[in-house]
Amino acid sequence: MSQINYRTINIDVLDPESSVNFPMESLLPATLPAPGTSSDAAGVASEVRQLLRSGDAEGALRHALDTAPLAGDDRAKEVHLATVIEVLQGIRQGEMLRVLEGVCGGSGGSERADCLMKYLYKGMAAPAQGNGAQSPRRGISPQSTGFSQIQPRNVGEGGSGQQMSVLLNWHEKLVEVAGTGSIVRVMTDRRTV
Amino acid sequence: MSQSLRPYLQCVRSSLTAALAISNFASQTSERHNVPEIEAQSSPELLLNPLTISRNENESVLIEPSVNSVRISIRIKQADETERILVHKLSRFLTARAESFFILRRKPVEGYDISFLITNYHTEALLKHKLVDFLINFMEEVDKEISEMKLFLNARARFVATSYLTPFD
Amino acid sequence: MLLLDYHNVLIHSLLTERFSGAPPASIDQIASDFDGVTFHLSTPESKTKILISIQVKCFRELVQYGAQQVLEREYGPYIVAPEPGYDFSVQIDLEDLPADQEARDDLIMRLALMKRNAMAAPFERAFDEFTQLAEEASKYSSEAAPQGVKEGGDLMAIHYREEEAIYIKASHDRVTVIFSTVFREETDRIFGRVFLQEFVDSRKRNNISQNAPQVLFRNDPPLELAGVPGLKGSGEDKVSYVTFVLFPRHMTPQRRFDNISHIQIFRDYFHYHIKASKAYIHTRMRKRTADFLQVLNRARPENEEREKKTASGRTFRVQA
Repeated sequence: MSQINYRTINIDVLDPESSVNFPMESLLPATLPAPGTSSDAAGVASEVRQLLRSGDAEGALRHALDTAPLAGDDRAKEVHLATVIEVLQGIRQGEMLRVLEGVCGGSGGSERADCLMKYLYKGMAAPAQGNGAQSPRRGISPQSTGFSQIQPRNVGEGGSGQQMSVLLNWHEKLVEVAGTGSIVRVMTDRRTV
Repeated sequence: MSQSLRPYLQCVRSSLTAALAISNFASQTSERHNVPEIEAQSSPELLLNPLTISRNENESVLIEPSVNSVRISIRIKQADETERILVHKLSRFLTARAESFFILRRKPVEGYDISFLITNYHTEALLKHKLVDFLINFMEEVDKEISEMKLFLNARARFVATSYLTPFD
Repeated sequence: MLLLDYHNVLIHSLLTERFSGAPPASIDQIASDFDGVTFHLSTPESKTKILISIQVKCFRELVQYGAQQVLEREYGPYIVAPEPGYDFSVQIDLEDLPADQEARDDLIMRLALMKRNAMAAPFERAFDEFTQLAEEASKYSSEAAPQGVKEGGDLMAIHYREEEAIYIKASHDRVTVIFSTVFREETDRIFGRVFLQEFVDSRKRNNISQNAPQVLFRNDPPLELAGVPGLKGSGEDKVSYVTFVLFPRHMTPQRRFDNISHIQIFRDYFHYHIKASKAYIHTRMRKRTADFLQVLNRARPENEEREKKTASGRTFRVQA
């Protein structure tokens, strides 16, 4: 015990009434879907892939966004992120706007737009933030390399530059469709993806 | 280059515009204090989800919003040793003058080269869209400056070498 | 001023003034040169007798390689006993100068080149050794050359600065000059590498410098220095070894003088340009910072300073 330097202890942490110990769970809405696991997410992934293969890009994206594991564990979120990015990369640049308008229209459209925005930011944060709150993701980069015919030549290094470029393009289009408010909701929404 | 630069900057621009919605908020831990919550980190509910925008693993922007302040950190492209030292010199030069760059943070956030801290006082005194313009302009110019300095260094080295070796003929 | 002068400008201008018939005055001046060389110019006896002394860090090594002979050749009649604290002194009597102007100018120049001449000794010796070895080698075919000829002359080391040295080695077809140089700062090291790379590439790239000596650089001691005690650096990047390979065409008697001067100045030239680049980049950053500030200040809303009037139309005046 004598080794502990008492001056460096943050006593606020020990106080249950302190603002540092704000119960973050209370910020989550009660209507959260049931927690999903990584195997659930993998199930969704295969469904989405099915849709993508049948040529229904819009349906695939819509399904992926509707089933986002908002209450899932980290592993489930990771798997789902990979699914979403796969879908995004599978859609050609020319079709982006059309798909987006389809996905963000109709009932629940703005929720889907916000969800997509969350995935775009998460996708950009993933490979760079090795030590961040989100666990690092490396699994997606191999797929992105096969994407070179759509984005001609990226001066950025390797696969991640390619993938970022896709995400940035989506981001630009999504802001056009959903507006800046969507970004604000990504920042404020505690239901992370 | 500009092909992927434009969406990158566009993305930073719209994210910044969204993030700079901040207002005065007094500290809830100590009375009569008013501190940037993103730096104090004393109340988790006042911090918002951070946004990362990256162009590739060497260039990215981290936006950390909170109720009354936003911290923006930029990672500048550094392809080789020369660029690394130039970026280091430039960012040190700038942070040494943080006093006149009132939004510049004196120390970059770990993993980034330069950080800005914008508080509600800044957004009250300054035009928000011009602040965003400044940050975008900064990102553009820094890249340009680094590559120009590198070119200059190489050109000078080449010239110096040639003129030293020529008298030996 | 791209290339550096070989002579000491201060000595040169001072002597030019004295020699041109200005009224004699007493002098007591210390002048510095590159590589920690110090000169002392004084008039200890009378105003017309100027004593010039030089202090070189590695004078003892230079003497070993024949500096005394070189200096005697250059300054023969003027040499006096070295002033205490200095390594070598000459005394010039203003009343006993060469008659014609050309000889005077030559003498001034020769005195201003004192550092160069002191440092030139090992180079001259290496060049002589080379001539000798080349003659010997021409007697043999390359296979049959005996060991001694192939190995070449001894390695001469001149520790002309703290931690830095020049190594000279003659062999039958070349003279190798190796500079070891230390970078105190990270920036210097990286800039230095950029510069050195250009020195190396310059021969490949440029037709003009096709005849220039070959330049190589590395961070660990080159093969020629194998077995030299007290070499630092392998492993750490701070020390760089720059090798110049001088070919026979650089050692012809007519090129000899200039080339020795020129290669001596390498280290100073090299570091001078690194510093100059840093200074330039610094000014650039200053300018760029000013630009950034200007852009940032655009964010300030313009406060229009309108004259405030009361309802009756009268204005307030600020009391001074």
